[in-house]
Amino acid sequence: MNIKEVLKELLLEDKTLIHMPFGNGNCDFNKSVVLSWVFILVVFILILIFTHNMKVHNISKRQAAVEGFVIWIRGLAVGMLGEEGKDYATYIVSVLVFLACSNVMGLFGVVPPTMDLNVTIALALVSIIMVEAAGIRSKGVKGWAKAFAQPMAVIAPMNVLELAIRPLSLCMRLFGNILGATVIMELLKHILPVGLPVPFSLYFDIFDGLIQAYVFVFLTSLYIKEAVE
Amino acid sequence: MLSVNLWNVLWTVINLLILYFLIKKFLFKRVDEVLEKRQLEIEEASKEADMMIEEAKKTKAEYLQRIELADEEKEQILADIKKQGYDEYERIVNDARRKGEQIVTEAKHNAEVENERVKEVYAAQLADMVVEAASKIAATKHSTENDRELYDKFISEAGAKNE
Amino acid sequence: MSLTAIGAAIAAFTGLGAGLGIGIATAKATDAVARQPEADGKIMKLLLLGCALAEATAIYGFVVAIMIILFLG
Repeated sequence: MNIKEVLKELLLEDKTLIHMPFGNGNCDFNKSVVLSWVFILVVFILILIFTHNMKVHNISKRQAAVEGFVIWIRGLAVGMLGEEGKDYATYIVSVLVFLACSNVMGLFGVVPPTMDLNVTIALALVSIIMVEAAGIRSKGVKGWAKAFAQPMAVIAPMNVLELAIRPLSLCMRLFGNILGATVIMELLKHILPVGLPVPFSLYFDIFDGLIQAYVFVFLTSLYIKEAVE
Repeated sequence: MLSVNLWNVLWTVINLLILYFLIKKFLFKRVDEVLEKRQLEIEEASKEADMMIEEAKKTKAEYLQRIELADEEKEQILADIKKQGYDEYERIVNDARRKGEQIVTEAKHNAEVENERVKEVYAAQLADMVVEAASKIAATKHSTENDRELYDKFISEAGAKNE
Repeated sequence: MSLTAIGAAIAAFTGLGAGLGIGIATAKATDAVARQPEADGKIMKLLLLGCALAEATAIYGFVVAIMIILFLG
């Protein structure tokens, strides 16, 4: 099996997992969607286990851990969003959890959901909608519309163009990174399936995945911060 | 690789929203509740502590005042006790004096009674003696010599008896 | 076939920009840490972010190269 075939198998395979009998194939569920269900379920179970039987006094180590985690991750989100954008911290945290979970899926030998363009498009769309909604919410429709002409009226077209460029860049960066990481891992596995992929997996699956999740969230919160100011 | 299916985009958005609500409802809300409760409790505790400190300060001031008062009170009590002791002393002394006087009067009375009794006895003896002497005189011939002898004897007898 | 390979190679040239960008960013970050060792954590964070952003261009080139190979080859 040469490299091209490996690539073809990885990249050109049919992404649909569940075929719906109706809708002419439009309502099918992709593998990525089903995989997201899986890790959402896992996260949900973990949350239930960790937040089970929370007490005010004499807390267990489990509860101390989850409290510390919540405070830390919210501090991270608020630190990126700034004080004005504090309301969006929960959204930022959930996107971070979603991306972190799906990016490290490669560790388990499955194709990460973020390697599906549909997922990254959805995330980028939600992000840009969130950004503009935050702008409208904090400045009103008029203020939001006026903000396009800032700092000069001349660059208004650029600002309008950014509405499309920002989500495109967000989605393509994430997709490309995960695709690249997965392809390289796949090629390495093709060359030598034992031992060699381990250090690369550490970098491409864990480090790169988490960095990309952080970058996505960081850029989204940067846009939100800019929008609410 | 690049096929985009709007439905799948929608499914992913729904997935994200589900995750958002799960995290919001089950993680953040629960933890926040606990944290808030703890915060409230801490605030309450600190408030209570403040109140207690205030109270303690008040009590301390009160005690200081009371200690000052207590000094006065102490002197007062000491004076009272002294006075009481003095009174008691007086009373005891008086009692003793009265008792002593009583004893003395009783003793005097007893002595008088005894004296009277002795006198009575003595008078009775004297009368007996007089009667005896008279009978003796009457019995014997009496001369001046005899008489004088008799009287002398009588007087000396009486004196000896009376001593 | 050879032309598509050349096309993919040209697409891979985007790595040049990313490499230069990351190199410059790292050099500046090293300078900054040397000047202000106490701001170490913040600089590290910014450097990671900048590297991830610069790397994205290389990734674009990579994706384009793969697409050329897959769809045109």
